Amino acid sequence: MNTNKKSRIHISGDKLVLMAAIVAVFVLFAVLNKNFLTLTNVINILIAASLVGLVAIGHTYLIIAGQNDLSPGSLAAFSGVVAALLVSKGVPFFPAVLITIACGILVGCFNAFMVNRIHLEAFIATLVTQSIVRGFAYIICDGKPVSISNKTFLTLGKARILNIPLAVWIMLVCIVIFGIILAKTKFGRSIYAIGGNQDAARLAGLNPQKIITISYIMMGILCSIGGIIFAARMNSGQPAANVNLEFDAITAVILGGVSFVGGVGDMGGTILGIILIQAFNTGLTMVNVPSFWQYVAKGGLLLFALTTDYIRKQKREKDLLAASMKNL
Amino acid sequence: MAGTLEFQHICKYFPGVKALDDVSFQAHAGEVLAFLGENGAGKSTLLKVLNGDYQPTSGKYLLDGVEKHFQSPHQAIEEGISIIYQERQILLELSVAENIYLGRMPVNRFGIIDTRKANEMAAKIIKDFGLPIEPSTKVKDLSIAWQQMVEIMKAYSRENLKVICFDEPTASLSDSEIEMLFKIIEKLKAEDKIIIYVSHRMDEIQRITDKVAIFKDGHYVDTVKTGVVPEAEMIRMMVGRDLGDIYKDLDREKEIGEVLLEVKNVSSDYVKENSFVLRRGEVLGFSGLVGAGRTELMRAIIGADPMKTGEVFLEGQSIHNRSPHEAMEHGIVLVPEDRKLQGILANLSVSDNINISMLDQNSNRFGFVNREKEERAAEAGIRDFKIKTPSADKKIVELSGGNQQKCIVARWLSTNPKVLILDEPTKGIDVGAKSEFYQMICRFAKEGLGVILISSELPEVIGLSDRIIVMKSRQIVGEVSREEATESRLLSLGMIGEVQEA
Repeated sequence: MNTNKKSRIHISGDKLVLMAAIVAVFVLFAVLNKNFLTLTNVINILIAASLVGLVAIGHTYLIIAGQNDLSPGSLAAFSGVVAALLVSKGVPFFPAVLITIACGILVGCFNAFMVNRIHLEAFIATLVTQSIVRGFAYIICDGKPVSISNKTFLTLGKARILNIPLAVWIMLVCIVIFGIILAKTKFGRSIYAIGGNQDAARLAGLNPQKIITISYIMMGILCSIGGIIFAARMNSGQPAANVNLEFDAITAVILGGVSFVGGVGDMGGTILGIILIQAFNTGLTMVNVPSFWQYVAKGGLLLFALTTDYIRKQKREKDLLAASMKNL
Repeated sequence: MAGTLEFQHICKYFPGVKALDDVSFQAHAGEVLAFLGENGAGKSTLLKVLNGDYQPTSGKYLLDGVEKHFQSPHQAIEEGISIIYQERQILLELSVAENIYLGRMPVNRFGIIDTRKANEMAAKIIKDFGLPIEPSTKVKDLSIAWQQMVEIMKAYSRENLKVICFDEPTASLSDSEIEMLFKIIEKLKAEDKIIIYVSHRMDEIQRITDKVAIFKDGHYVDTVKTGVVPEAEMIRMMVGRDLGDIYKDLDREKEIGEVLLEVKNVSSDYVKENSFVLRRGEVLGFSGLVGAGRTELMRAIIGADPMKTGEVFLEGQSIHNRSPHEAMEHGIVLVPEDRKLQGILANLSVSDNINISMLDQNSNRFGFVNREKEERAAEAGIRDFKIKTPSADKKIVELSGGNQQKCIVARWLSTNPKVLILDEPTKGIDVGAKSEFYQMICRFAKEGLGVILISSELPEVIGLSDRIIVMKSRQIVGEVSREEATESRLLSLGMIGEVQEA
């Protein structure tokens, strides 16, 4: 029994490799720029990671469940604009937040509807949403950023607890809570089951459509919260913000060991993936890599993530074959 | 060593299955060699190893004494090995000649495809084969048998053809078409090709083959001369047991109680209206050909497919299952036919697989799963169903097929069902596990469950069922009691819809 428990928190070889990669990235950039490894900069990395982190939580669930989502960037921008607009129109901060989150839930439902009812591939379905929601982000503010003057709202972007910004705390709390849900609850188990084999899970009495819907709604909520915090940090809701947000989040999640085939991965890996990608992004800027080249580098990182995903899959299959032969 | 094809210690493993285990033998030019064995014995896997579709886990094969490693079917064809599959591998929209010379059509000096030359070349082969077809005919206008001939000609048109394999070639051919095929096989034989002929049909094997290689559960048993060893002996070699005994020892005595499940005029998009009853303690067999609608009827009953008409009564109460989950709550569960696609959750452990249907019961009101409760349930399942696994934490795909299936049954039994529907429960599992399953099925019925057993293996339905319902063309066509059940009766009901006994 005890050995079982131990094995659950055992750190796998994949994670060790990932940690080594993080150390390598930190060492590399620290050598190239001595300001990289300062407390201020590490906190900056965490702040920058906070939005990607929230979205990556949602992607962890969705991709393990065999789904995906390309709409978070649009939804985060839209949410920032909505919240800023509401507050500027005199709606108190907390009701404005609730209304914004309700919009996120709506978008999640829409994604789930397309996947469950029209049976669209998640990639294509959420590409639709990406465009529509981005369009609405521009429409509602007439394309102009909406500045924020509400005190409470601005505090959200500036407040610090133990010298760590609130945005980071929110991400950390969300990661812990959603990590526990994924690892310990009925819902979490269902996510793995439907990602492994949706048909079998349905015949086993699970309700995949319901689980998928909840996952998209969760993603909607996370994007809205992230968008609100981002707007608070920027002092305005910007319709053009957060383009390619999902790109970073998906890269982080895949780097962290979640597999595109579904049913595989965990939140611990995602945490490492977030740290790696954000350190990488911030580092590129700090060593003055031109932003056009950063796109190329990011593409390269995603390719690297996908390749490791492929190699891990091959290895899993090989290990499995070897193990199953022992039991015959 | 010219004119030989030799397999040396070929093994091919898949997770949980030894599809081929240490297979060694030879085939010779100018001989027709039959592959004989039950489904899953390894015949098709060996063909796939030979043509480069699969890479062997270990072992090697030699053609004319030279070791070969084909990386793809394409490469195998280039080196003179062709397989004629049950499913046609030709392009329907192209002409006969274009199919024969697909990918190597003759070209003129400008690099333009020379259709006339291709037709001439094809016409020569067609004449060789003595067939009345035109090279320019589109393949889609030909009958299945002619299409198959085109495939054979395609293989034959390669000058270096050495080995040609037929995988159940007569499955969709009429008697006269079979005669035509046999003539061509004779011709290939006369031209010193190595011919491999995979079939289940004994009369064909007796007629056309020279030797028979017998396979059983992934092992090569022996090669015997056709016509020398009696059929019964060959069957004994491929089955390796006398089937009767497994059933004889089963404890089938039990009380059959009142009506448990009544199905009235149930139809779906996939089945016509059907009615039947199942009693408590009864094993109700469902026989019929593959595609007769047995699985589809059950799927409508448990709500996996929407029910179009009809009613289902459980213990006299009308119930309507809109999803497998609702059926489970009512106490009706289905162990699906395709274990890999519909049964196991390959990414999860044995314990998770057993407990997945009990998540509600095994978690508290906040949704947290009680690991200890799950572990206890998994240990109990492993014990009760004699699941062979090093531990409950092992991934289910690491187990053998039979043990995976036991996990699925354990999963369903943990929900305390009243009606247990088993769809081809012993498909692809080894003999030892089969007999354990049979004992289990009898035990479930004895404990008062109603068991529905869908099986295409006639001895299995006959050996286990108290009553057998036969389906044909998506409809129930008859019912046979345990006493009057014979293989020929069930077959004739399933194939022609009525009993015609000799």
